[in-house]
Amino acid sequence: MSREKLKQLCLELPLFPVTSVGSFPKPDYLTAARRDFQKGKITAEELRKLEEKATTFWIKKQEELGVDVLVDGEQYRGDMVAYFAEKLPGFQTGGLVRSYGNRYYRKPIIVGEVKWEKPITVDWWRFAQGKTAKPVKGMLTGPYTVMDWSFNEHYPDRQATCLALAQMVRQEVEALIKASCKIIQVDEPALSVRPEELPVALEALHVVMDGLPAYFITHACYGAFENIYPKMLEAPVDNFDLEMSNSGLDMLALFRQNPFTKDLSFGVVDSHSHVVEDLPTVSQRLQQALQVLPKEAVWLDPDCGLKTRTVDEALGKLRVIVEAAKGARSQLAPTAPRP
Amino acid sequence: MKLLLANTGSYPRIGDSPELQLLRRTIAAHDRGEATPESLHAVEGVLTKAALKDQEEAGLDLVTDGQIRWPDPISHLAGKLAGIEINGLLRYFDTNFYFRQPVAKADIKRQDGPLVLSEHEFARTHATKPVKPVLTGPLTLARHTIVEHAPYKQLEPLVRAYAQALAPEIDALAKAGAEVIQLDEPALLKNPRDFSILQRALLLLSKHRGKAKLALYLYFGDPQPLYERLQQLPVDILGLDFTYNPKFIERVVSAGSQKPLGLGLVDARNTRLEDPAAVAHQINRILLRVKGEFCYLNPSCGLEYLPRDRAQAKLKLLAEIRTRTKAGAK
Repeated sequence: MSREKLKQLCLELPLFPVTSVGSFPKPDYLTAARRDFQKGKITAEELRKLEEKATTFWIKKQEELGVDVLVDGEQYRGDMVAYFAEKLPGFQTGGLVRSYGNRYYRKPIIVGEVKWEKPITVDWWRFAQGKTAKPVKGMLTGPYTVMDWSFNEHYPDRQATCLALAQMVRQEVEALIKASCKIIQVDEPALSVRPEELPVALEALHVVMDGLPAYFITHACYGAFENIYPKMLEAPVDNFDLEMSNSGLDMLALFRQNPFTKDLSFGVVDSHSHVVEDLPTVSQRLQQALQVLPKEAVWLDPDCGLKTRTVDEALGKLRVIVEAAKGARSQLAPTAPRP
Repeated sequence: MKLLLANTGSYPRIGDSPELQLLRRTIAAHDRGEATPESLHAVEGVLTKAALKDQEEAGLDLVTDGQIRWPDPISHLAGKLAGIEINGLLRYFDTNFYFRQPVAKADIKRQDGPLVLSEHEFARTHATKPVKPVLTGPLTLARHTIVEHAPYKQLEPLVRAYAQALAPEIDALAKAGAEVIQLDEPALLKNPRDFSILQRALLLLSKHRGKAKLALYLYFGDPQPLYERLQQLPVDILGLDFTYNPKFIERVVSAGSQKPLGLGLVDARNTRLEDPAAVAHQINRILLRVKGEFCYLNPSCGLEYLPRDRAQAKLKLLAEIRTRTKAGAK
């Protein structure tokens, strides 16, 4: 069914489209420049030039490797929630909170009505899409995750917060579509955090996506999916992008009990390991996926964003995924879409 | 009926000022081999004293050491036991905080040295108020452990092993003069079927409490489905999180409590400050229904999920709420 949707959107993709989850590592010069910008040593324009240089590098690399659906690599973003919070009225930057061990982050605080005033991601999407003929995904953080990863002093409860944020995300989706973006990823890594709130998260995704002409992907990771599966399949997305390799592909057992009914961007390499998997390992993971999923439904990518890897590790991981996809394509011919 | 103010456990170890960044800088230097374990220990002491000072200045009656020395609620205890190795990161309940997961590889046993006794003694030395030691309970430790040791394939032997490792610590803390010893068992709310297993473990632990009162604290979930059964547990105080279910107050008011309660009515997971008058009104209703001479008003869980300035504001709010209750007005 989703292949049909891709056709309607005039998107021609091969079997096992290769993509990535979103972020790529920042080159050292950009990390240094971001630090200098924080200290006021360089201007926003100077920083932007270097972000463009790094984005161009990643677009070129994805093309060279043979990736099918590209991302801009998020060279201009820090945290996936704070990036949006910093640009939206209604949010305030919070104080430091510990995430683990000796690591801390600034958790945003919602202090007023969150308003979408102008596009946030469209400019960077246009920049990236302008560098390639291949489709580039629009990349957004979903309302449930923005809600869960922020403090809230304005809305009455979590549900009201989430649904208000959903209206904001929908406006950004509409802006991306208006700019001709056809594949839009709305990340919800917090999806499984409170299984009892899954209906709220699903309702919010309906607010974001219903009736809009795009192919929607939702990425989720490092959660207890056994608590929300198969209910999560009620989400109005075309494709779930799931971390599979880090958990030893144990979600496949869930899919055997209740068939997975969407397209699946199948994480075939571990994003948090320095080791670049070899081709037999990745090919084997794809074969295991094909035991429970129709081949037309399978996309391939890393488990999660690659920003914590080195540039060489990230390139190595993408390269082996492309090789595995090419190997599998040569053995299989596409068939008719599933009924 | 007295209403005492207490902290629930952790306290932020970082703030925006340079002196409140000292621990982060020292840990980083230690990891690079540029600071000694002794200097790190000393800095942990400095931040512990700062946490105690904030609590005392806010007017708390029962303080904690802020768990400043804890990398997380699981590995700080499990990592000191034989038979355990520490693995990678995993999300802690529904927080944005990650803990390191223990792997049980062999029989779990205590090694030389205490788990938290020396930390407690340090805090006592520097506090002007009674200090409450806090331990993560055996069920929560077990529920977050990867089992690679056949005898622990079933949950109960693993819970029992952790309980046996914690028992001497409770004994030592009681002998050191702790008036209240807190056991945190958030895992029970997520796994209510473990109730009987926890009950048996608590029976073992409660025998070691000496003259100390044993407080069981449950958070990160709605205690309502278990509320009546919780009254049967062999503990002296029940600490409950009221933030997950706004109707839970009504259950407590209607059913009452045979035990003193730790009232987790101030949300330690959100920066919004509660209306003191509204909270005081609910406390007045609850206190009428509690048997005993005292209850605690405390944050719903540890405060380190908040930025430091907001954690401080929540502590001050506890005192503000108390002045508006009938118990506080007396």
